[in-house]
Amino acid sequence: MQTRRHLLQTTACGFGSLALNALASQSSPISHLPSPIFPHHQPRAKRVIFLFMAGGVSHIDSFDYKPKLIQNDGVAFTFDDARTVAKTGKRASMRVMKPLWEFKQRGQSGLWASDLFPHMAAMADDLCLVKGMHTEGVAHGPATLFLHTGTTNFIRPSMGAWINYGLGTENENLPGFVSISPSLSNGGPRNYGTAFLPSRYQGTPLGRAGQPAKEAAIKNLQNPSLSASAKARQFDLLRDLHSEQLQRVQVTTQHQEVEAVIQSYELAWRLQSNAPHTLDIDTESPATKKLYGIDEQPTDNFGRQCLMARRLAESGVRFIQVNYTDNSNNPAWDQHSNMPKHKDHALAVDKPIAGLLQDLKQRGLLEDTLVWWGGEFGRTPYAQGNGTGRDHNPGGFCQWLAGAGVKPGFSFGETDDFGHHAIADKVHMHDMHATILHLLGLDHEKLTYPHAGRNFRLTDVHGHVVKDLLA
Amino acid sequence: MDWHRAALPLLILSLLESGAQSSPELDHFERKVRPLLVEHCYACHSAENKIKGGLRLDHRAGWETGGDSGPALTPGSPDSSRLLRAVSYDDRDLKMPPKQKLAPEQIETLRQWIANGAPDPRTDAPLAKSKTQAQTADTLWSFQPLAQPTPETRSPAVQNTTWPRDPVDHHLLAALEKNNLHPVNDAPPETLLRRLHLDLTGLPPTPHDLTTSATDSIRNPQSAIRNRIDSLLSSPAFAERWAQHWLDITRFAESSGGGRTLPFKDAWRFRDYIIESLHTDTPLNQIITEHIAGDLLTSNDSTQRRRQLTATAFLALGPTNYEEQDKGLLRMDIIDEQLETIGRSFMGLTIGCARCHDHKFDPISTRDYYALAGILRSTQTLRNYTDNVAHWVDTPLPLDPALEPEMRVKETQLATLNTQLKTITAQVKKLQPSADTLPPDKPIAPNKLPGIVLDDSQAKLVGPWVQSTSFPNYVGAGYIHDAKTSKGDCTATFTPTIPKAGRYEVRVAFTASPTRDEKVPIQILHADGEEDLTIDQSTTPPIDSRFVSLGTYRFEKDGAGFILVSNAGTTGYVTLDAVWLLDEATLATEEKSRTARSNPQLATALAEQKRLQKEIKTLEKTGPNRPETMSVLDDASPADCPIHIRGNIRNLGPTVPRGFIQAAKIPNTPAIPANQSGRRQFAEWITHPQNPLTARVLVNRVWMHLFGEGLVRSVDNFGATGDTPTHPLLLDHLAHDFIADGWSLKKLVRRLVLTRAYQLASLPANTTDWQTNQTTDPDNKLLWRAHRRRLDAHALRDSILTLSGTLDQTFLGPNVQATSVDPNSGASQNLEYDYVFTDTRRSLYAPAFRNKRLDFFEAFDFADINGPIGQRTRSTIAPQALYFLNHPFIIEQSTAAARRLLADKTLTTPDARITHLWLATLGRPPNPTEHQTALTFLIPSSSSPTTPQELHTHLIQTLLATADFRFLD
Repeated sequence: MQTRRHLLQTTACGFGSLALNALASQSSPISHLPSPIFPHHQPRAKRVIFLFMAGGVSHIDSFDYKPKLIQNDGVAFTFDDARTVAKTGKRASMRVMKPLWEFKQRGQSGLWASDLFPHMAAMADDLCLVKGMHTEGVAHGPATLFLHTGTTNFIRPSMGAWINYGLGTENENLPGFVSISPSLSNGGPRNYGTAFLPSRYQGTPLGRAGQPAKEAAIKNLQNPSLSASAKARQFDLLRDLHSEQLQRVQVTTQHQEVEAVIQSYELAWRLQSNAPHTLDIDTESPATKKLYGIDEQPTDNFGRQCLMARRLAESGVRFIQVNYTDNSNNPAWDQHSNMPKHKDHALAVDKPIAGLLQDLKQRGLLEDTLVWWGGEFGRTPYAQGNGTGRDHNPGGFCQWLAGAGVKPGFSFGETDDFGHHAIADKVHMHDMHATILHLLGLDHEKLTYPHAGRNFRLTDVHGHVVKDLLA
Repeated sequence: MDWHRAALPLLILSLLESGAQSSPELDHFERKVRPLLVEHCYACHSAENKIKGGLRLDHRAGWETGGDSGPALTPGSPDSSRLLRAVSYDDRDLKMPPKQKLAPEQIETLRQWIANGAPDPRTDAPLAKSKTQAQTADTLWSFQPLAQPTPETRSPAVQNTTWPRDPVDHHLLAALEKNNLHPVNDAPPETLLRRLHLDLTGLPPTPHDLTTSATDSIRNPQSAIRNRIDSLLSSPAFAERWAQHWLDITRFAESSGGGRTLPFKDAWRFRDYIIESLHTDTPLNQIITEHIAGDLLTSNDSTQRRRQLTATAFLALGPTNYEEQDKGLLRMDIIDEQLETIGRSFMGLTIGCARCHDHKFDPISTRDYYALAGILRSTQTLRNYTDNVAHWVDTPLPLDPALEPEMRVKETQLATLNTQLKTITAQVKKLQPSADTLPPDKPIAPNKLPGIVLDDSQAKLVGPWVQSTSFPNYVGAGYIHDAKTSKGDCTATFTPTIPKAGRYEVRVAFTASPTRDEKVPIQILHADGEEDLTIDQSTTPPIDSRFVSLGTYRFEKDGAGFILVSNAGTTGYVTLDAVWLLDEATLATEEKSRTARSNPQLATALAEQKRLQKEIKTLEKTGPNRPETMSVLDDASPADCPIHIRGNIRNLGPTVPRGFIQAAKIPNTPAIPANQSGRRQFAEWITHPQNPLTARVLVNRVWMHLFGEGLVRSVDNFGATGDTPTHPLLLDHLAHDFIADGWSLKKLVRRLVLTRAYQLASLPANTTDWQTNQTTDPDNKLLWRAHRRRLDAHALRDSILTLSGTLDQTFLGPNVQATSVDPNSGASQNLEYDYVFTDTRRSLYAPAFRNKRLDFFEAFDFADINGPIGQRTRSTIAPQALYFLNHPFIIEQSTAAARRLLADKTLTTPDARITHLWLATLGRPPNPTEHQTALTFLIPSSSSPTTPQELHTHLIQTLLATADFRFLD
């Protein structure tokens, strides 16, 4: 019996050297399983960290400087208000509201940034601002789904799942796509789901919105009711039973399927011992923790999320999403009435994000890690209902990229004089998706999957790689 | 005009031919226009690159014919030219080039060119890249009529005449023999029994079933099996199992998912309808007809009517994004989802592809799409198209005749009581102003009022508000008004600090006067959304002559909630004094004290109001209740739908008469009367015996569930990109017989499981035969053996619950009931987000939320229920292993199973228990090595748990974790 177990372990080790992709066998209902996808061209980035600012950060209060708003504060103009247009097809008279934080040019690059994010502003020379963003969806649900899946309403795989499918993981002991503290609302699991892609490409959620980042963990990683020795004894039993079951199917093709199950247990066994270590930020130095604002308020929670993201990036996870959100229908940055509240959110994320950038930089990780920051849309340059907040603005907003393959200290694209609609060097969300895939070595037109009789892709029939952003 | 348009190109042509080389217009084109087109337009509108929207700008005929939206320009009339509209960026749906607006001088160049008659020397069209050609109905197998059986084709001749039991076996064996293959041995009795139980009922056989069947089958194997099959087919468990398959293809769910998920409170009735229909073997063509047009069918009694109405929930159950702000788009998106589901589930077609362009591979045109869309567009799926967050249609259901009179009485009583309540409420409202309990005509300090009071001085003011104390009954130090000027300029925003999350009544104070505006807009942003309403400031407010209630809303602690008063759109004076928020407890105390202070007349009225409210509540709770179902209605004015060019709802082409897919012809295609939606005829067309697709698709689905793979392996795709049938004649004959048998699911299942082919072994007894077969047909396409299959999430979980003895076998009925479906109430979402799955009913009853899935479903390939699922994906991933190793559900169930095992008095020895366990989990006895391994494991060791309970728990958990538990031999 000992020999058989030994044999099995050796087989397991042999398999262990393969990627997770190969381990997770899957008999798909589609008869022509696509062959493994490899980079279509030389990648610039190996992985992405996406810092999702749910609810919609105001671009005109942060990175898109519009003096005209200051000059015309309180004056009414006629605007194509996205919500009014969607509902009535008409324009509306709206009162301009000036940015609430002072803008200055920063660093060597002279990029404009306001005092809303002083720490990020200090990193201006590392940022690649994309100021001509525009997207689909006026309400949070549709726009958030569009950001993550490239559609407001259809059921499509999330971007992380596409990347995971295209590149697989760099680390056989960890999932290839992780979403830290995702929300249940505004699309919920669809934002890290696979839709019709095989389920092994699904994002692994770590904790959930509203739960302290301290408690964020992969599901079912521990069985506290068992001692280590009892666990080992049980796992040995499982190996013994499996070796008998393998014998029953020895001469058949079923052999592979049973072995796949066996391998999934071997991988689970390794995950149990590796993942907690990867997520354990207690081993980090006090200086590092300080950089992220950990153990101080109000940065502790998001700081932990960002530091976990760095550790996951270091361990070879392909797509790491860090969510600043909650479970409500009007999440985090959704300041319809009270723009000053943007500052509370800024205080919670600014230092951790700047800390993450610095940390990635000093470890050399920024060279092959792409950091992507932004919300599902921007906010209007006028006050909603002429009050003291701003409504959603999918027509023009700003996101930024930093790190692998993009121009540092660079600003691209423009909105109109009010910062309402993107007008020059526009970058549609489809284009952003195409560009990020490009940086990862994937051609967004070739990264396809057959489903319901045709090939699907993240960018549908749209999207262009924005070459101007590439370093 | 027409002459002018038609003649112009000719005119230009002749102009060009007569030595136009040197004309200034042409020069302008070459110097300015052509480079501009090349640089800014060719990337998307030329044969060399792409031809977006069907428009080519690389030669003259390109813009003359134009793209999907028609000619791109009218020579001579820049202002009526689409091209100029696009580049001027004035049309919000048509902005070209999409990335960046052209410079003003470039736009001017184009304007001038068009004004000059658009001279264009580019007469030759560059060659376009070849396009894929769609298959026609003549060549695509699935659009051909079913082959009619002849005596020769019904049971093809075979050499081994003793082997087949059914014509199905003849077909399969004939194909095997042709390829020099031989079917393997029959499955051992216990393997066959586990297969039958799980296939037919989704539940495993008990160890008792397995041992008795072994003895039965020795006596008369075939009759024993037949009896077993008949008893399984008539069990409720059969209906439950096969209902799940049907729920899969109808993308059944109990919430909308997506953006703002809403609970489908009555969806469970649809699930029950399916289970009951399959239990009574309702013909599948009738079920499909009821799904699409139940509400339009005639009925004999209330039971039938309930069924029919409930069945139409099928059309409403999609993952609709009710929050979509563009309601025109929402309407077309819903239709698209309905068409896609109907097409995929019942006909194996991807109709949705034709929304934007003719189907690239299958004979489905955009015209066909909008002919079908016209039917569903003439159907009401939403309550209305104006709600900020839309809502489906709830239809009241008739009750049984015995209950109906009682229900009617109750409804009449309720109506009377509600009328009385309305009267008394009006009276209360009228009485209240005079019941001025606060010091009349005197200011009151904010701190005299309980709850949260925000004076006008605490509001964020925008615009020239004026302070006043003219009317003395204000709160605080005065009030403000807009002096009836600066209309649209003044807003006041109150941002209360909420000490504790919860529901608050919002009141606003103002001083009334006839000169005040009657429609002052107020916006409330609360935790669940925003509310826009207006108040009438010309009449005295009802509460203490000072306040009017704006309703009760939920606010988060320190949330972003606000109350915004504006003077936009007003004509009279707008005044504002204070905002008052009361939580429920404060409100109750406040109401009480105020009533007591008020006059006796009001007190009586209030008491009466309360009594009526209470009586209504009590009455509502007693006697029968009128259930509702999700459903659809025929639209009041059915109409044909125009083609939406490229799927764009604002770019309409010609209108298409309502109808069906032209290529799938049936004799006497039903005509759609002008005053009907056409859903009844749509259902008739789909379920017509000569519709080439429906019966084939259904038979193939059943085959797939029983044999592991379909005869057409792409079960959802019978189009050109799908697979072709491995046994075309067999498929056609099965479909033929299925129709002849009255579309009976039970008859079809019974026939298939009685075939010799179904009863084959999946694992070898004799390896020589096996090797040859495997080399020739490794994918087992010809079915020389049974496929070894995976248990799906439902069968797995139900097997675990059966083993532990905790399975709750309640047949039918709801499992979760939503009390609120209000999109603005957090309760609607929280029902889903906060839901804790604890029940142990069969898995098909597990609350089918779209955004929050049962963990087990998430791990075992049932995470996404947003679209029809013809065949579950079958993944083997580490999270499944982690689930079996560590999830509390597995540990609890293993513990319960061990307790049950050890308490079983019939099992007295460790050997008996081990054999029992193997039978109960894997459906077979252990082999000697396994037996020995288990025995050794059960011996307590110094380093492991010592109690028998613990040891058995671990053994059971490990057995459940093994591969064989997940496979069906």
